[in-house]
Amino acid sequence: MSELRKEPVLYDSGQSMPYVDSRIYSDEGIFAEEIEKIWKKIWLVTVHESELPEPLDFRTLTIAREPVVIVRGTDNKIRAFRNVCPHRGNLIVRKPAGNLSVAEPSGNANYMTCMFHAWQYDCFGRCVDIPRMKQGYQDRLRKEDISLEALPCEVKHGGFVWLSLNKNVEPLAEFTGEAFDIMKVELDTEPLDIFHYHKAIIPSNYKLWHDTNSEFYHDYMHYFNRATSMMQKGYFERQYTAFPNGHCTVGSMEVKYEAYQGAKERPLSFPGMPRNGWKMVDLFPGATYNIRGSSLRVDTTTPIGPNLVMIEFRGLGLKRDTPEERAQRIRDHNTIWGPFGRNLHEDLLGITGQGVAMRPGTEPRQVLHGRHENNSIHDEIGMRHFYAEWQRRMGRSPSDPMRELSLAAE
Amino acid sequence: MGMNETAASRAEAVRNAIYRACLFLDDGKFKEWLTLCAADFSYRIKTYSPEIRKEMTWYEQDWSGLSKAIEMLPLHNTDHGRLTRHATVYEVSLDPSGSEASATTSFVCYRTMLDGINAHLDAGETQLFLIGKYHDRFRFGAEGPLFTERTVYLDTRRLDKGTHYPI
Ligand code: FES
Ligand SMILES: [Fe+2]
Repeated sequence: MSELRKEPVLYDSGQSMPYVDSRIYSDEGIFAEEIEKIWKKIWLVTVHESELPEPLDFRTLTIAREPVVIVRGTDNKIRAFRNVCPHRGNLIVRKPAGNLSVAEPSGNANYMTCMFHAWQYDCFGRCVDIPRMKQGYQDRLRKEDISLEALPCEVKHGGFVWLSLNKNVEPLAEFTGEAFDIMKVELDTEPLDIFHYHKAIIPSNYKLWHDTNSEFYHDYMHYFNRATSMMQKGYFERQYTAFPNGHCTVGSMEVKYEAYQGAKERPLSFPGMPRNGWKMVDLFPGATYNIRGSSLRVDTTTPIGPNLVMIEFRGLGLKRDTPEERAQRIRDHNTIWGPFGRNLHEDLLGITGQGVAMRPGTEPRQVLHGRHENNSIHDEIGMRHFYAEWQRRMGRSPSDPMRELSLAAE
Repeated sequence: MGMNETAASRAEAVRNAIYRACLFLDDGKFKEWLTLCAADFSYRIKTYSPEIRKEMTWYEQDWSGLSKAIEMLPLHNTDHGRLTRHATVYEVSLDPSGSEASATTSFVCYRTMLDGINAHLDAGETQLFLIGKYHDRFRFGAEGPLFTERTVYLDTRRLDKGTHYPI
């Protein structure tokens, strides 16, 4: 590789050989800074509204290490709160999901109860009970003055719940901009419904997963994709489009599922989506919407450490699916994307290997992001565009990350 | 043989078939595993998600689908760690007709690592991969019981990178 001219920063110069320094994937300090400058600042897509269909349904999660609870109120509105008790800092809601009408052993039905000293909160985050309040706090503290911290929360882009830990975050519409235009009809014509959820914790950096979702050159790794896509008409015409704030999309093609022995054409689709079509929206800093004909897959990442990431995988169809249609979507989804599917296992092996080769303490390496093919499918514009945004937010160049740039972003 | 002896030997044959299936699967002899299954065999892997509060079907194939998937395994990049089951048949019940049976088997599946992460460090290490139950259906023929249905019902839901192999 020594004969390749590698130039820092100039991601879209057209002549240079863009690369990133592997320490962006392995350095503890950079990771900690990413949590502060990116993950705590930005809009993140989380659960789907169909995971909390009824009033008082809840879901819990952690974002940038912060416990969060999402609750559908008695007014049917979905809200998000920090899931941390203002008393002695315990986690309040502990189950992954449920309905608040089921009382906790130390609390009442319809409330979130902190099991420690039984402070209780309603679905609007208001504290409704502090045991022996008057005796202990006299007039120094009133439950009326206590509430869980509400977080910016919007339900958008196919009924997903978007959150931010940043109270002053810009409106979501400004953050996603036009990135969803390519999938608007599919996502927003009628309600979607979740049928699949699984998660993986992989010893690798979260950006390596997003990189994989942002480049198609690795279709060489997937026998399924080589047969059903790369060999088919239209594959090399698929185009990347870059959008402000680090997002990008990949345009559709017609996938020939029959070209893989045993796989079948996918007659089901989404509104506006041609049969067997395939399009993607990659969202900064680590989520992807991916529609392949009959099923929508949404990946969300939760960075745990520089070399550890949780990836959650969701599969969705249309709410109005008949049982037969739903079963078909599930089969189509899991043939390639389930934990026993043909493709996902390979993708996860890919980033596991990168996690070994670029784990903390390994020699800094130059990782090439340099394919230029007029933004078509094997162009690496998706990754370059992501890292241009990363540089803007971090105030560091991905190719020279240990040095802070003098002109830090924002 | 009296009725009870027939029933006992049929139950024994079902247990044997389940254990033989485990041995074939452990050895990666997937084609041989399929010889224990009837032509109308259906296979699925299911679990319940407390996150989305729904039962999920993570994999579903008929006999020919499985057969093709097995043929194509060498074309796929994969984790070549060996999967080993430890199974106990908890219950066999013969249908009143006597020609079919169902069985419930509790199992643990370990992965002995080879190339899944960093071979130099991890190859040879055995990790718990998943636990669950086999819910099997059988039909008796001249050759003894054949599997007509297997539902692998998983307790383990975090499978990390997953696998291409049948469980
Ligand atoms: S920490 Fe929650 S009630 Fe005490
Ligand atoms: Fe892939």
